[in-house]
Formats: sequence, C-alpha cells, structure tokens
Amino acid sequence: MANTETNLASKTLDAFLANWRQNIIYIGFVVIFVVFAATLNDRGFLNPNNLLNIVRQTTMIAVMAVAMTLVLSAGEIDLSVGAVAGLASVTVALAISVMGPFGGIVAGLATGIAIGVFNGWLTTKIGIPSFLTTLAMMGIAKGIAMWMSDTAAIPILSQGYSWWFGGGSIGRVPVLLFWMLIFGAVGHVVLRRTSFGRRVLATGGGEQAASYSGINTAGIKFRVLVLSSTAAAIAGMLYAGRLQSGRFQLGEGDELSVIAAAVLGGTSLFGGKGTVIGTIVGALMIGLINNGLILMGLEFSQQLIARGGIIILAVALSQKRN
Amino acid sequence: MSNVAVRMTGISKHFGGVKALDNVDFEVLEGEIHALLGGNGAGKSTLLKVLNGVHIPTAGTIEVAGVPLTNHTPAASRAAGISMNYQEMSLIPTLSVAQNVFLTREFLSGGLINDKEAERKADELFRMLEVDIDPSTIVGDLGAGQKQLTEIVKAISRDARILVLDEPSTALAVSDVDRLFAFLRKLKSQGVAIIYVSHRMDEIARIADRATILRDGKHVTTADIADLPLETMIEHIVGKRSLGLAGVERKDVSRGDVALELRKVCGRNKPRDISLTIHKGEVVGLAGLLGSGRTSLAKLIAGIEPITSGEIRINDLPVNIRCPRDAIEAGVALVPEARATQGIIPAHSVVDNATLAVLDDLSNTGFVDGKKLRKTTDAQIERLSIKTASRDHAVSTLSGGNQQKVVIGKWLASDPDVFVLDEPTAGIDIGSKSEIIQMVRDLAASGKAILMISSELSELLTACDRIIVMADGRAYDDIPHADLKDPAEVNSNAAHRLQVAEQRLQIAIQEALAEGQEVSNG
Repeated sequence: MANTETNLASKTLDAFLANWRQNIIYIGFVVIFVVFAATLNDRGFLNPNNLLNIVRQTTMIAVMAVAMTLVLSAGEIDLSVGAVAGLASVTVALAISVMGPFGGIVAGLATGIAIGVFNGWLTTKIGIPSFLTTLAMMGIAKGIAMWMSDTAAIPILSQGYSWWFGGGSIGRVPVLLFWMLIFGAVGHVVLRRTSFGRRVLATGGGEQAASYSGINTAGIKFRVLVLSSTAAAIAGMLYAGRLQSGRFQLGEGDELSVIAAAVLGGTSLFGGKGTVIGTIVGALMIGLINNGLILMGLEFSQQLIARGGIIILAVALSQKRN
Repeated sequence: MSNVAVRMTGISKHFGGVKALDNVDFEVLEGEIHALLGGNGAGKSTLLKVLNGVHIPTAGTIEVAGVPLTNHTPAASRAAGISMNYQEMSLIPTLSVAQNVFLTREFLSGGLINDKEAERKADELFRMLEVDIDPSTIVGDLGAGQKQLTEIVKAISRDARILVLDEPSTALAVSDVDRLFAFLRKLKSQGVAIIYVSHRMDEIARIADRATILRDGKHVTTADIADLPLETMIEHIVGKRSLGLAGVERKDVSRGDVALELRKVCGRNKPRDISLTIHKGEVVGLAGLLGSGRTSLAKLIAGIEPITSGEIRINDLPVNIRCPRDAIEAGVALVPEARATQGIIPAHSVVDNATLAVLDDLSNTGFVDGKKLRKTTDAQIERLSIKTASRDHAVSTLSGGNQQKVVIGKWLASDPDVFVLDEPTAGIDIGSKSEIIQMVRDLAASGKAILMISSELSELLTACDRIIVMADGRAYDDIPHADLKDPAEVNSNAAHRLQVAEQRLQIAIQEALAEGQEVSNG
C-alpha cells in the first residue's frame, strides 16, 4: 500500500514538474513583474502610464508573433516580418496621401498579401526552404521600401487613420491594447478550435502522416505564410499610425523579437506544437524586460546583453530533460 | 566448452513501483549467437539497456569475460567491449564508409586528417571480415544491407566482443539477410558473442544457437534452438498454448460485389500492368520480396504516387485519384508501411491522430466540435480495444501494436470501402500481431474490401482469401487460399497445415522472381 502511495505522490510530483517546465513563461512573467515592481517602483514602474506604455510598445510584436506561432507550428519560419512591416508602413503612408485612409488600408493589406503569396509560392511550388525564401525577402522588402520612400519618412496627415491604427486611446486605454487582444483571441481560436488550426499542427508535427491523411500540406504552408505577411503588414500599419508617418526603418530587426516571443511562449521551432496565449505572454514579457531595463538606467548596450541573457535563461528552463 | 562472454545474474530493475525486470539470469558464450525473445514489454530492451549501461540495475551483477562490471555507464560498458546496434542506423550518410568507421579516431598525418590511410585500414578490415564494400563509397549511396554491415564492422573495429543486434534484418532484402547471416557466422567463428533480438522466428531458427525467452520481466527459459520448435517458442513468449497466428478465427464471409478493380495499372517505375479485383468481404494478400512493387502499388491506390496509365474503379465506377484526398473521398484508406512517420504524429494525442482524416466531418463551418472528436475517438478506442492511459496521451506513449490500432481507427472513422494495409504488423510483438490480423478478418466480415501487404507469409496465409504474388513490379500468381492447402494433410494440425502452405507460397514467390528476371532480361 505504501508503495502505491509513494508511486501516486511521485506521479503527481512528476506531473507538476512537467507542467512547471511547460508553464515557465507564465511563472517567469509573474516573477519578473514582481521583481520589477519591488525594485523599480520608485522609478514609476507600476504607474499605469508606464504599464500602458509597455502595451503600446509590445502590440506590434504581439500581432506578428501570433501569426508566427502558426508559421512555426506548421514547421516553417518567416524572417521577413520586420522588413514587411517597414514596407507596409511606407505603402500605407504613400497611398493615404493619394487616395485617403481607406485606399491606404487597402494598399497596406495588399502589400502584405502580395509578399505572403510570393513567399508561399517560392516555398511550396519552387521548393526553396522558407528560411531562405524569407531571408531573401527581408532584403527585397527593405530595398523596395527605401526606394519607394527615397529613404525619407512619409507623413500621414489623416487623424482618423492614426487614431484607429495605433495612435488613439479610449480614456487612458490605448487602441493598441484592443488590437493585441483581438489578434490574441482570434489566433487562439484559429489554432485550437478550427480544423485549419489542427491541420497546421498536423503539418508541422508529421508532414508525411498529415499528407497521407489527406491534408494538403503545401496548401497549409502557403496559407500560414500569407497570414504571416499580412499580420506583418498590419503591424507596419500600426507603427505608421502611432508615429503618423511611414518609414523603412520601422520594424527593423523585429523578426528576432517575434520569434523569441513565440518560442518563449512554448511554441516549438520544429513544428507541431504551438500556443497563441503563450506567445502573447512571451511578447509582453519581452516588453516588460525592455521597459524594466530602461527604468534601471542601463545603457542600450547593457540592455541588449541583459535581454539576451534573460531570454536564454527562460528558454533553457523550458527545455525538457531526459 | 567456450568461455562465458557475459553473465548477468539476478538482474532486477524497478521503475517506481513497476518491476520491469525481476531476478533475470542471462548468459552468453563466446562464439555464440544468442537470441533474446519476448513480446513487447517482456523486458528485452530494459535488459539490454542494463547491459549497455543506460540503466543502473536495482539488483544483480554483470560479469564480462569473468570480470565484474562495477560501473554502470555507457562508457564503462563500451570499454568492456559491449556494442549495441540500434534499429535506427547510426551512420552519417554524407561521409564515406571509411570516414564513418574511423569517426572520432581519424588517422592524422602532420595534424591533418589522412583519409587515404583510413580507407586503406578500412579496406584491410573489410577484407579480413570478408565484406565486399568499397570504403571510399559515401554511406548514403549504400543499400540498407551494406549500411548494416558497415555499422557492425565499425563496432568490431572498436574491439567489440559482445555485439547486440536489435531487429537487424527489418530493413533488409532477403539476399542482404543472407549476407548478414554469413557475416555473423564469420564473427562467431572469431569468438564474438552476439545477442540477436528479432520478432521473426524463421530467422531465429536459422541463425541462433541458443535462445533466452523473457516474459513480463521474468526469465522463462534458455535452451538450444534445436530444442525450441516454433510452437514451443511462441508458447513461451505468449504464455499460453497458442498456435500463434493459426489461432485467428476465420469467419466465413460471403463475397459481395466488386469493391476495387484495377485495370492494367502502371506507375512511374513500378508497378507494371496490374489488373486485379477485390470483392467486399474479401482479403487479398500481396506477397513478394522487397522491391517487388507491392508498396508502390499501395501508394498508387492511395493517391500518394500518380498512376501513369490504366484505370482504378471503385464500386464499379472509374475514379480519378491524383492525391490522398481524392483516394479518401473515393473510399480508400491506407495503413502505411512506416508507422512512425507516415501513420501517426507521435507527439500528438490519440484524439488528434484518430480524427485527422475526418476533421471536416467533425467540424461546423470550420470550427472543430470537441464533443464529436472525443466521441469518435472513444468509439475507436473501444471498438479496437486500444490500450492507452487516456485519449489525451501522446501516441508515442503507446506500444507499437496500439499505435497501429490508432492508425486503423483513424481510417475506420472515415468509413472507407477499401482498406490497403502495408506491413501492418511490422515491429509489433506476436500477441498484438494476431490481434491485428483478427482485426483484418473482422473488417472483411463487416464488408470491407482489403488489400494486405506482408513479408511474413504465415501472416498472409492466416489473413487472406487470395494471395497475389508480385515480382519486379508485375503480378504473377493469383492463388486462392484453398489451393495452398494440401488435400492429403486435412487431418494434421493447424500449425502444420500453415507450415505446408507457407512452403508452397515461398516456392511461388521464388518462381515469380525467376520468371520476372526472364521477362526483364528478354
């Protein structure tokens, strides 16, 4: 009997430990929040304005990271998101100056869809791995953005556009918070509750088994890459709205934060496993760390080092051991 | 009397409260090929992992050539001369044979790697062991059999005196198996002790000197192979009087209408001009050696490879199958050869795997209906008696037999008319095998048309109503089950009848092969 009890106890412990690793992102988020709250309170960390600022700075990463979660779950990767965001900010700003806000929104979305279709076509039809396709696209998108804008910032004069896309707030709550919540909710439902989401996970978890089961795996990959570019374009439009201008540097280097957010959240780089809620928390955690390090008064160089160290620590803790 | 190469005494291994091994004695002599037998979960792999230093035994001692092994680490076991060859090959495909053999022990001249010297040494080694492989070949270009031999030569070159081979013949063609066996006999004559694990009793009978059988973590018996006829072996493994597969019940099924018809179907390379019909309630077997085009034919029917000419008809209507989705919609289900990569998604749950082929039926306007998913899965778990801790456990936690049942369940959910099974019992223990074969019979009884591929003839003979013999991409014989029985033998026991039938089928395959060679030469 004692044997059975210890067995049961060790099983419960095992389950907790397994969950502990799986849930490290949530635990880590709370721990970092508490530590910053305790040590940085005199510098205004808990000030609502500061916390809302974290949301403002995180939303674009979160929007791209939600789509990246689908891409990674399908066993692919999209390195072009940051550059696509920059390009979309330029096309949207240019289009608004000619056609007004609605024309601008259409142009921005069209930019994302067009690049996504091209990425998807190269990856699934020509057979270039998405790592290479999107690495090349990163340069192409940035180049086009520089060329179209003549490397200058293009102002956006439409107040309405700026309010909806990142600049506005309802009371003190920034519109960006709603963008993040909507993307998170929709992404979560798509991945967990739709047959499309199941097929994405199946494609990344075992491509051959998925294909033998009648899933059009090339079609799934094509679609997640289009979704990713489109989300990146929306993130670029949010940057443009918030800063009331489009410029090619917007979103530069974001691909690393986006992938880090998804992986921190528990999405596998090798496909088949993903969680959108984890990704959102991962993005918020990166925002939190950035904010805390700035409040600490670290220099930019020191921030980079500290941020990298914290991310490595969190991912290392989440790895399964045998 | 030969010396004892390895002696394991009173080995026990507990995982939590589970006794994986209970006071097991195991002894292998120098110059002996010793078969280690048992069903899945009998404790074979745990025992080998203890020997290998991966597991530390809870109790018991290990002696290698009379010297007790005090350290239980993989390094200590390797230093003692124990080498394990896993089912998955451990060679690096982009390097040459010589580079692989001497990996991490490269010959240096002036601080730089000297590949010429490695090739010369490897050539010496291969010559000595009478293995005909050019050491400068890239491993990726070798056949499965040559890879297997290279791997063993690599182990021997590291002074392995005790060689553990786990299912070494699984990926091999018959001629490669012959070469492997000749090589193992050569090693044996040099005093190497070989522990041979296999589910294929025919091979054991051919190659092993003695066998040790484990069941439920306990030692059952150790005996000379000559004293262990097939029936006795299976009896010890299964633990009750059993004729193995002969115990499968064959309900009489009235043949229904034609469900699947192939008219002169060709694939890109194989198969060639295959015409066949399968009725509802009928199980048709495909016999033949590796490379005879059996798997290619299965892939054509399932839409994985394109047909280049000919016609596939299902329920008397021509169908145009160009992708797996087309085949599924036409009512075809394929239980594929490579279970781990083609059949299941190992890290995903039972419910996710079991519903993969019918997601659309279980969804409303794109949203999956969790209740329906669970209901469908539970129905399959019950119908096929799948043993799993829960439907939410990863399929990788199930035994091989139960994983295969999940694959079959996945297709049952789509209610197909035609089942194509490609080596459905590969790597599954004998107990679960007869369960799978029984399942095939039951599927036929429920009106499905079944095409079954298997390299184990006894399995085909037990499951099938007709057997088509393939060689070189063509179909040669179409033998009704009754024709394989010997009318003079009706009074003998079932196991003997099976044996007679197996010999006849074996001959048919060899004849088809000879005929096939004439066709391709003429």
